[in-house]
Amino acid sequence: MSMFAKQGGKSRTGRLPSLVPESVAAIQMGIALFALLAWETVARLFRTDFWTSSPSNVMVELWRWAASGLLTSDLQLTLTEAGLGFLIGSAVGGLIGFILGWNRLLGNLFEPFILSFYTLPKIALAPLFVLWFGIGITNKVMFSGMLVFFMVFFTTYQGTRQVDRDLVENARLLGAQPWDIWTKIALPYSAVWVFTGIRIGLPYALIGAIVGEFVAAEAGVGFRIKEATSFFNTAAVFAGLIILMVISIILLGILKFVESRALGWQSAKGSIQPETQT
Amino acid sequence: MGMTALTMPPLPAHDDRETVIDFQGVVARFGGLHAMGPTSLTVKRGEFLAIVGPSGCGKSTLLNMVAGTLKPSEGTVRYKGELVDRINHNVGYITQKNFCLPWRTVEANVRLPLEFRKHPKAETAARVAAALEKVGLKGFEQAYPKQLSGGMLQRVMIARTLAYSPDLYLMDEPFGSLDAQLRTRMHGELLKLWQETGATFVFVTHDLHEAITLADRVVVMSKRPGRPKLVVDIDLARPRDVIDVQSDPAFSAYFKRLWTALDVH
Ligand SMILES: Nc1ncnc2c1ncn2[C@@H]1O[C@H](COP(=O)(O)OP(=O)(O)O)[C@@H](O)[C@H]1O
Ligand SMILES: [Mg+2]
Repeated sequence: MSMFAKQGGKSRTGRLPSLVPESVAAIQMGIALFALLAWETVARLFRTDFWTSSPSNVMVELWRWAASGLLTSDLQLTLTEAGLGFLIGSAVGGLIGFILGWNRLLGNLFEPFILSFYTLPKIALAPLFVLWFGIGITNKVMFSGMLVFFMVFFTTYQGTRQVDRDLVENARLLGAQPWDIWTKIALPYSAVWVFTGIRIGLPYALIGAIVGEFVAAEAGVGFRIKEATSFFNTAAVFAGLIILMVISIILLGILKFVESRALGWQSAKGSIQPETQT
Repeated sequence: MGMTALTMPPLPAHDDRETVIDFQGVVARFGGLHAMGPTSLTVKRGEFLAIVGPSGCGKSTLLNMVAGTLKPSEGTVRYKGELVDRINHNVGYITQKNFCLPWRTVEANVRLPLEFRKHPKAETAARVAAALEKVGLKGFEQAYPKQLSGGMLQRVMIARTLAYSPDLYLMDEPFGSLDAQLRTRMHGELLKLWQETGATFVFVTHDLHEAITLADRVVVMSKRPGRPKLVVDIDLARPRDVIDVQSDPAFSAYFKRLWTALDVH
């Protein structure tokens, strides 16, 4: 054994030691527990809880937040903002990306404008959105929608533009009418890119809502985090962050599920070889 | 052999079969580039014609004109007497590119042209099954393209064409990306297909062995601007065995003649 190891890395590149899923989960739980424990210990031993808070303080803060009834209403508000922004941004971004991606003429026409928006840090538009849409929910929905829009739009547009034009011509030779090209080639082809864009864009829905609430708001998870910061309430800040983390994990889970349903063909695995000679 | 001679008489000098493709003084220009022509050439019904020539001489251009995806700059292209001035739906066009839709199964890919052509549902299933059977893909109906090897993908492309039984097959270096063994096997299958369908085949290649093995007639194109430089009838017995035929003394004679005309430096 040691001889093989010495003679070259070759024998080591074969495969990784495999773990059964249950033990992976157990180890991950262990890591999480260890991190929490370390956090608590450091906070108590070195009295860093002003800056780092501690898991126990955060739990207390979460409980207080929930008991006051504000957690539910804050969550509701932030999720509504992010959700609406996500829906609007994905729909508009997917549609426009699809059209400009397939229509060479329109795509080329708008390309310079698209590129100039591509590099703009969109977050910088937040104050402008307050000016346009006030400090209510409309502002956050629009801002979140704008962020998602760009993500979905760029991904769909660029992905769709890569389509092999010969593929389309081949379909026309096979007898496809324009309507067939749209429904049987273009839409399914772009669907992959729309989904990719949506997956990239999903976190931005939440970012948009939170940043919107940071800039100007009267409620919401983001507003609560900002408020807690101004009172130097580190535990409440972490409580807000934990809520955000949980939300995004749940959202990604939902998205993965939907995607596996819609794009099942992508998960087809393995190569199939003919068994009988023909 | 006697049977073969009976069913496949040597072609008479004046061939009275229907003319399927008729190029008359066809020229292709792309901007300032004189790419091909003038070319005049006819292809008869049921014929297996191979076109060879250096790359860039306009072989694919010729096929595109028959398919109606490209208009000649000068001259006319007729399909069964009719001017080709739009997409020609009577042809099956197979290249080395794989145009499978990755989100469709093998079966659904083969069904595609029948969906486009609004074939009745009942007939569609039977046609798809028959086409898959013919190319040896029975049992792979539910596989996705990304699970298949290059040779099998090429079979899917052929099955997809078979499914709508075109009268004319245009093949542009269809086996260019396959390895030698697989290629030889595909040659055998292709010849069988040609004989069973009775369709007309125009096969573009830059491989002389491939051309002589398959074709009734080989056209050698000159360098760009490409024009037919030499046309040779390949009088090797049919049905041909793709291996045996290569050891026929006539085979190497054809090879030498075509090689000289091809003028490869
Ligand atoms: N759509 C096109 N636009 C511009 N040039 C083209 C086009 N199609 C072919 N050509 C040019 O015409 C010549 C012949 O092309 P092609 O028919 O593809 O050659 P072959 O198939 O014999 O290799 C080449 O020089 C090629 O670059
Ligand atoms: Mg070519």
